[in-house]
Amino acid sequence: MVRIKKSLTGAAVAALALTTLAACGSDDDGGSSSADGGPETADIRVWLNGTDTPQEARDWLKETFEDQNPGSTLTIEQQEWDGLVEKLTTSLSSESETPDVVEIGNTQAPTFTSAGAFAPMTDMLGDLGGDDLLPGFVEGATVDGETYAVPYYAGSKYIFYRKDLLEKAGLEVPTTMDEFVDAAIALKEANPKPANFSGFWFPGQDWRNGATFVWDAGGDLATEEGGEWTPALSSPESITGLETAQRLFMEASGAPKDGNEADPWTPFCAGEVGMMSTPGWVKGLIEDPETGCPDTFAKQMGVFALPGSDGEPAPVLLGGSDIAIAAKSANQDLAEKAVALMLSDDYQTIMAEAGLTPAKDSLASLLGDDEYAAATIEAASNAKLTPAAPGWANVEGSRALEDLFSAIAQGGDVADLAAKADEQMSGQLNG
Amino acid sequence: MMTTTSAREEATVSVTGTRTAPVRPARPRRPDRRRAASSLPYLLVAPAVLALGLALGYPLVRQVLLSFQEFGLAQQFGQPPEWVGLANYEQLFTDAYLWRVTLRTIVFCLVNAAATMVLGVGLALVMRAMSTPVRLLAQTGLLLAWAMPVVASLTVWQWLFDTQYGVINYLLTALGGDFEGHGWLLRPLSFYFVATVVVVWMSVPFVAFTVYAALMQVPDELVEAAEIDGAGRAQRLRHVIVPSIRPVLMVVGLLQVIWDLRVFAQIYILQKAGGSATDTNLLGTYIYRLGIGGGDFGTSAAVAIFMLALTVVLTAPYVWSMIRQERTEA
Repeated sequence: MVRIKKSLTGAAVAALALTTLAACGSDDDGGSSSADGGPETADIRVWLNGTDTPQEARDWLKETFEDQNPGSTLTIEQQEWDGLVEKLTTSLSSESETPDVVEIGNTQAPTFTSAGAFAPMTDMLGDLGGDDLLPGFVEGATVDGETYAVPYYAGSKYIFYRKDLLEKAGLEVPTTMDEFVDAAIALKEANPKPANFSGFWFPGQDWRNGATFVWDAGGDLATEEGGEWTPALSSPESITGLETAQRLFMEASGAPKDGNEADPWTPFCAGEVGMMSTPGWVKGLIEDPETGCPDTFAKQMGVFALPGSDGEPAPVLLGGSDIAIAAKSANQDLAEKAVALMLSDDYQTIMAEAGLTPAKDSLASLLGDDEYAAATIEAASNAKLTPAAPGWANVEGSRALEDLFSAIAQGGDVADLAAKADEQMSGQLNG
Repeated sequence: MMTTTSAREEATVSVTGTRTAPVRPARPRRPDRRRAASSLPYLLVAPAVLALGLALGYPLVRQVLLSFQEFGLAQQFGQPPEWVGLANYEQLFTDAYLWRVTLRTIVFCLVNAAATMVLGVGLALVMRAMSTPVRLLAQTGLLLAWAMPVVASLTVWQWLFDTQYGVINYLLTALGGDFEGHGWLLRPLSFYFVATVVVVWMSVPFVAFTVYAALMQVPDELVEAAEIDGAGRAQRLRHVIVPSIRPVLMVVGLLQVIWDLRVFAQIYILQKAGGSATDTNLLGTYIYRLGIGGGDFGTSAAVAIFMLALTVVLTAPYVWSMIRQERTEA
C-alpha cells in the first residue's frame, strides 16, 4: 500500500498543477489584418444569427455566390443571438478562427466598430446602395467618418393578439398606452385558466420590450453629453416607465418572471397569450405546421403597432441587424462580394417577403399592404435605437438589463433597482 | 516527486502483488543508489517539463501581465494596452461584490464536493454488493451520465426544470404540490439547488468508478480477519476499508474540490435559462462576464489570478497532508 500511496500522491500533485493552471488562460494573438485582398478562391464563412434569415435567402446566397466565384464556396454557420457578443469577442480577434462575414445586432455594432473589429466599408457604401440604405443603421456603424457595417434588415416589434379573446372580454384594440395596459390586465383577469395565461406576454428578461415603456414615459436608458455617456434609468421619467412595466409584469403577464423572450410562438400556440410584442417574422413561425398552430390559434391572430401615451405609435426598439466584414479575415475581396450579394435587390426581396424590413428604403413597398405590413411600417415610424455608446455591447454582455427587468418583474423596488443598474452601467457605457 | 528508481520499485511491487503488502513487515531498505550523480533522470523529465512550461507557463505569465493592464475590447483588436499597476486589484478588493461571489463559490464548492463524495462512495460500496448483471446495468448508467456532453445534458435538465412546461413541475403538481409555473431558477438558493443537482449528477460517476476500483484492491483476507475478530459492518468500513483506500479518497476529493471551485458551464447555461446573473455568479462566470462578456480583460484576469490563489489556499491542506503521508510512510 505504501507504494500505491506514493504514486497517488505524485499523481495528485501533478493533477493539481494541471487543473489549477488550466483554469486560467487567455488567448491573444495581436497582429493586424491582411493588407492585400486575400486569395482568389476560398471558403467564405458567413455567420447568420437565429432563424431570422429565411432558408430561401440562404440557399440563394450560397448558389449565387458559388456561381459567380467559381472555385470558391460559401458556408453559412448559424449562431445564437443569445451570447453573440461573447462569441464575436473571442472569434473576431483570432485570425485563424474568425468568420469572414458576420451579422450583428444593430445595437451591438458600435462596440465592435469602435474597437476595430470590422474592416472599413466606406468605399463600397455607394455601390451597396448609398443614401438608399437605412440611415439610422449606417450612422450607428460609423465612427470618425468611417463606416464599418451596413444594414441587413430592420424590424421593430409590434403586437400580435388573439382576436377571439379580445372580443370575448369585450375589449377594443387599444389606441393609447393607458388603454393598452388596462386591456392587458383585463385580458388576464378574463382568463384565469391556465394560471400562466398572459394578457400581455412579458418574460422577465425582456428588456428590449421593457425599454419601450421607459421611452414612452419620456425617460431613457442613457444620455450623452459632450461625448460622455451617463446612465439615465433612475430619472423620474424612467422610473415612471419602469413602474408601468412592473404593473404589466405583475398584473398582466403569466410568462416566467426570469424567462427570456425566445420562442414566443410556443406559448402563443399553447393558448396562453392574449397579446405579445414580437418581431414580424414570428408570424411565419406561428403559421408553420411544424413550429406553430396554423389550424387553431393562428386563425385568430391579429396585429397592431403598440400605441404610445400620445396615441401615436409607441417608441419601440428599432431592431435589426448589420452586416460586417471581420477585420482579421484573410479573404477581404471575396467577403465584400458576399456582402454585395446580401444587399442586392434579389436577396433583399426574399427578406422583405418574409416580413423583414429591407435594408434599402426603396424596397419598403415589397413588404406588401396587408395589416402586417401596415403594423411593421407604423411601428418603425417612431422606433428608437439603444444608446450609441461605445460600451453598449458590454452593458448587454454583462446582462445588467436582463437582471434589472427580471428583478422588477419579481416585484422589487423600482427606484432601488434602477439606481443599482445605473451604477453598474456607468462603468461600462464609455467603453 | 518521484525519481526513476522509485518508479521502478513500484513497478516491481505491483507485479509481485500489492495485496500482501500491508500485512507484511516493512521490507528492508535497499542501499540508496538514487543519490548517485546522474543527469539521466533530469534528461528524461525535461520533455515533460518543457511541454508543461509552454502549455501552462505561457498563459499563466500572460495572465499575470494582463492583470496589471487596462485591457479592453480595443486592445483585443490590436491597440497597445496601458499599464495600470495594481489598479485592477485595488478596484476588485474594495468591491464587496467580489467577496460575496467568493463566499458563494466556496460554499457551493464545498457543498457540491461533499455531496458528490458521499453519493459516489456510497454507490461504490453498494456496487460491491450487487450481482454482476445489476452492477453492469448500474455501471452502464453511470458511464452514460459521465460521458454525456455538458451542454447536451444541460439542455435536458433545463427542460426538466422549465417553469412552464417542465416535467418536474408537472409531476410535483400531479402529486398535489403547488408547483404550477414554479420558477426554479428565480431565487438564488433554488438556482443553486438545481445547479447542485446537475453538477453532482455529472460528477458522481467518476467518484463511484474510482472508489469502486480502489475497493477492489482491498484484500479480502484483511476484511475477513477483521470480521473474525468481531468487527461489525460500520467498524470494518471505518477501520479497515476506509484506511486502505484513503489515498484514493484524498485524490478524488481533491479533484472534486478543484473542479467544483471552477465550475462554469453549468452555471453559465442555467443563467441564460433564467435567474439573475448578478445574484448567481460564481467566480468562474464572474470572470467570464467581466472579460468576455463585458470587455474588461484586465480586471477579469485579476479575478482569475485571485481564483488561482484561492484554489491553492483551499487545496494546500490536502496536498500538505499527502506530502506528509509520503514522508512518514516512505
